[in-house]
Amino acid sequence: MEALSELLKEYALTTYSVKPNRLVIEIPKERVKNALKVIKEKHGDTGIYVSTIVGTDFPDKKQVRLDYYLVTHPDDKVYVLRTWLSREDPRVDSILDLFPGALSGECETHDLLGVVFEGNPFIKREFFAPTDVASKGVFPLRKDSGV
Amino acid sequence: MSRAKVISYSPWVAHFNTGACNGCDIEVLATLTPLYDPERFGVKLSPSIRHADILIVTGAVTKKAAERLKRLYEQMPRPKYVIAVGACAIDGGVFSKSYSVVAGADRVVPVDVYVPGCPPRPEAILDGILQLVQKLRSGGVSGGSK
Amino acid sequence: MTVDKVIEIPVSLEVPIGPQHPALHEPVMLKVYAEGEEVVKVEVNTGYNHRGIERLTEKNSFYRNIFIVSRVCGICNIVHSDVYVRAVEQVMDIEPSRRAKYLRVLAMELERIHSHMIINAIMAEILGYDTLFMYIMRDREKVMKAKEILTGNRVLGDYLMVGGVRRDLNEVDRERLKNILVKLEPEVWKYIKVFEEDETLWKRLRGVGVIKPRDVTLHGLVGPTARGSGVNIDARREGYDAYGEVPFNIIVRSDMDSWGRMMVRWHETIESISMCKYILENLPSNGPAVPDETRLPRKFPVGEAFARVEAPRGELTYYVMSDGRQNPYRVKIRTPSFNNIINSGFSYIGHTIADVPVILTSYDPCISCMERAIITDLRRGERMYLRFKDLSTRLK
Repeated sequence: MEALSELLKEYALTTYSVKPNRLVIEIPKERVKNALKVIKEKHGDTGIYVSTIVGTDFPDKKQVRLDYYLVTHPDDKVYVLRTWLSREDPRVDSILDLFPGALSGECETHDLLGVVFEGNPFIKREFFAPTDVASKGVFPLRKDSGV
Repeated sequence: MSRAKVISYSPWVAHFNTGACNGCDIEVLATLTPLYDPERFGVKLSPSIRHADILIVTGAVTKKAAERLKRLYEQMPRPKYVIAVGACAIDGGVFSKSYSVVAGADRVVPVDVYVPGCPPRPEAILDGILQLVQKLRSGGVSGGSK
Repeated sequence: MTVDKVIEIPVSLEVPIGPQHPALHEPVMLKVYAEGEEVVKVEVNTGYNHRGIERLTEKNSFYRNIFIVSRVCGICNIVHSDVYVRAVEQVMDIEPSRRAKYLRVLAMELERIHSHMIINAIMAEILGYDTLFMYIMRDREKVMKAKEILTGNRVLGDYLMVGGVRRDLNEVDRERLKNILVKLEPEVWKYIKVFEEDETLWKRLRGVGVIKPRDVTLHGLVGPTARGSGVNIDARREGYDAYGEVPFNIIVRSDMDSWGRMMVRWHETIESISMCKYILENLPSNGPAVPDETRLPRKFPVGEAFARVEAPRGELTYYVMSDGRQNPYRVKIRTPSFNNIINSGFSYIGHTIADVPVILTSYDPCISCMERAIITDLRRGERMYLRFKDLSTRLK
């Protein structure tokens, strides 16, 4: 099975790795859904799963970074699809129709960081955050949240 | 004979987790197994909150769970007592500085016995229950009648 | 299709808690919509257990976080601290000694044994089999004694540190551990026999909660839930710590139902016992297991690491990012129950209400905080309060 980096060569802006040896492929946010569609077609329904979705706030760069960690089966290789969103209005297409397992990660990232996943009808505030934090419009994981 | 003394001969226990790591919960569960044999004191797990005499609270009380804890305490018939098990129930433990935690069960309900530990051993939890029973026999607690 | 009953089941489950708090258990509300006795829809609402752990880790130093992160889950605290410490070691480029790696695997496998035994005991209790629950819990106390000999504490080991472990194992304790394991193994085989031959367990567990392999990967289910459906996902294959050197088999079954998942756990218990015996026989003597605490680095390099571990419930992942300061910039925890419980709402549909607790228990949420379920009968307009266990033994 050819490496994911070959498959996504046309999408990738840059590649490097997260320790130990997790290949990172940075792609622009508009192409995230297409890239995942290509990956799913290549590996099949039982060949790959979404392990976790990590959002990180970078107030100095005025961006929010979103990582999709994918694990292939059965060779257990971990790939990272990384994309950058603007901090003022972080929006990206939801991948719920491709991978229903992304439900938990997308709901959590929305409630704690404020990323809007367009097409996901289940995202809401107070998924995790308590009422007094959510009612003030505060996203706890942002660096300037004050909590 | 006062009501408190009567129930001290077989106190039924209800357990509520307010957002714990489950360490204290499995030790509370272990306390109810044959190796520690709480039934020789008449202590057993109550089938519903309305039949319970003692409420065991574990966990750093999260804000959402705090409302449920208060409601649960109000549903218990008097005389009622509360035991806070574990460092988190006493004052929040490691999580006392978090945005989502009300640090300490005694900010929500009146607590009669504190059992420290992270988590406390089943012998310590049983000892805590028995200390409360001792106090009841000698007439030292008010039992939530305020 | 008319819905005439709505059941709200507040349940405690292991969900990674957001940024700062390591809350291990997130109480979750399972809202079950039923027509007659058949389940037509399930919604999962969360929020009761969120402790804000991820945010708390950003406010404490890398070393203090080891203790905070252990308290995400009491049942699998050693695997949490192991994966966090490994991620930090990768950022700092430190390698622990061989003896420390073997001791880490020993602690993690003991934890796997006790966790599998408690969920099987709870499954027996949910089905109304109180005697079996008491028997399994009594034998589990042997494992707790073993954990206490190794790490110093029954539940929360606090056993790991960057560069190795905090306590070494001497010859006397090695013999005591071996004797405990030798006494435990025949008891576990007896329980396997009960689960294979008892008709009541068979009838309640067979064919309940069937998940096909395609649904496992699409929904991101991990651990024994996946292996019980024939999908061979196991993070231990990566060979971290000493898993590359200690021989073990990965248990995969193709039953696809709740019974298959419980049997995967029992056979994994046997596998863990033989792994522990191998480690105790072949413990290497090279390298001090306990590193010198005064020599630990005080400056942290910039970098990021992603580590995975096979917790008793499934694949647990930690992402740690350092920007050169004393505290981490970001720590992201994704526990296995986060995927297993929240994404599995589809598997209840078509079953009866009494099957819902059985299916939920077979995914291994942290059950100790099961509360009462509230059943609202929409036709008659009345509300009933039942214990979770009584929900599964309903006759009507």
